[in-house]
Amino acid sequence: MKNKVLMGLAAIAMVAVLSGCGKKPQVEIDATNAAIEAAKTAEAAVYVPAEFAAVQDSMNVINADIAARESKLFKNFGPAKVKLAETLTLANQVAANAAVKKEEVKKEVETLMTEIKAVIEENTALMKKAPRGKEGAAVLEQIKTEMATIEGSVVEAQAMYDKGAFMDALNKVKAAKERAVGINTELKDAIAKVKARK
Amino acid sequence: MRKVWRDGLIFAAVAVSIPLTIILLIRFTPLPPIGEMEIARETLSKAGKNRADTYSKKLFTQAKIYYDSAMVNWQKENKKFIYFRDYDKVAMFAELSAEKASQAAENSLSSTSSLKIKLKQKIDSLNNLVSENNELFTTYPLSSETRNRISKGKMLLSEAEIAYKKGQYLQANRKITDSEYLLTASYESVTANLKNYFKSYSVWKNWVDKTIKESKKNRGYSIIIDKFSRKCFVYLNGSKKYEFEAELGKNWVGDKRVKGDKATPEGMYKITKKFEGRKTKYYKALLLDYPNDEDKKRFKSEIARGSLPASAKIGDLIEIHGNGGKGIDWTEGCVALTDKEMDVVFKIVKVGTPVTIVGSMVDLQYVVNR
Repeated sequence: MKNKVLMGLAAIAMVAVLSGCGKKPQVEIDATNAAIEAAKTAEAAVYVPAEFAAVQDSMNVINADIAARESKLFKNFGPAKVKLAETLTLANQVAANAAVKKEEVKKEVETLMTEIKAVIEENTALMKKAPRGKEGAAVLEQIKTEMATIEGSVVEAQAMYDKGAFMDALNKVKAAKERAVGINTELKDAIAKVKARK
Repeated sequence: MRKVWRDGLIFAAVAVSIPLTIILLIRFTPLPPIGEMEIARETLSKAGKNRADTYSKKLFTQAKIYYDSAMVNWQKENKKFIYFRDYDKVAMFAELSAEKASQAAENSLSSTSSLKIKLKQKIDSLNNLVSENNELFTTYPLSSETRNRISKGKMLLSEAEIAYKKGQYLQANRKITDSEYLLTASYESVTANLKNYFKSYSVWKNWVDKTIKESKKNRGYSIIIDKFSRKCFVYLNGSKKYEFEAELGKNWVGDKRVKGDKATPEGMYKITKKFEGRKTKYYKALLLDYPNDEDKKRFKSEIARGSLPASAKIGDLIEIHGNGGKGIDWTEGCVALTDKEMDVVFKIVKVGTPVTIVGSMVDLQYVVNR
């Protein structure tokens, strides 16, 4: 009788062990999701979009893997835990990369801002030396308006920079610099032509 | 001994039945649609790489919603007792997700490529528009508001080009739309204004023909001022003898209407006086008989119509004078030549020499094509 009871208990224990050996790694899932959220807050989608998409893809694979393991009679979340740990590291790395890239863009905007201000200053000085005869003065009037627009763009770019929208500021200041450099070349050419004639 | 046999049989039965039960449990357990989910996920990822989240947003969002629904249903089914699970809905959502994601990926690719082509064409056509109009309107008296709008439009075009080069097509598209609006609206308004101005071309042509004929008939000098090309032509015996650059009033487009409007009048005039030395502050000057009878008649009619206030004055002292060569339209309505050119003109003309001022000696089509 004693043996029967022991065998029954052994059978129940075996079924219990086999069917319930794995527990969903909720702590690891939450930690990885938090790391992905942190990468999102670090604007990884803006500064390192491909890397951020890879992390999201990886998390989607893990979620499906966990659901598949949950569907099984005998659950084993060991491999999922390993993948979660890898994705967590990757998400942290992506957040760090986004911060580095953001800093690079910020520095690029700062450099362009300094450069464009110098070009604007030079253009203002060149305008005084530019030829005014024939259609020169009319062109100078046009250039004055263009310069005012460029300065307006620089102000807008600065406002974007102050808000932390460095990528938008970069596009704006790049366009403004291109135009300012175009005017600079135009003015220098006009002055050089007059000098050559003399 | 019999007991041993009986225990052995029981043990064997248990040993066989447990794995059998497990095998049966596994065999009849409903299987989740892992393959379908994998396809859906991979298709979604591909769509994401094709930037479907930006260029086929609606389809991509639908695909994502279906995928999320599949996951939610999967988890929901997992909570049920193993034999009561039904993954049909999960499979259905996964298939729908894959279908939409695939459409989104294709749609995004084709939208991106057609948008790219469209943007390139727009950028080129706007650059052409700017370059054509830049030449046409360099010296045209645009209002400061119009100049600012054109300048802002050009800046937006540059920003669009940068976004385009970076592959940020939607941003480029937004900038181009704004740029196009500013540029086309400004140029259309100025062109309409110009077309309206050139409605007087037949009258101008008539004046020019008469002036040249008169020069031929009288075997004398006549002066024609072409405002649009900023030229002063001197005719002798009906043939062009000199051609000088002329500078006009700041608001030279249109006829002079009232004193102080900085417009150069249009009409057939004659030189009434010649000034030099201390008699003029512009080196040398040829006073015209502005306002003539036509000008007075038009001015009176404008007062009567109320388009000019009753207190308005018609203005006078319109001259051809020196001090020109500034390269800009700066006079109060007079025509300015360089002092050297003024010497030439001053020497050959006399009181009574005809001076005809017209908007243009050539028609608008010619001006635009030039």
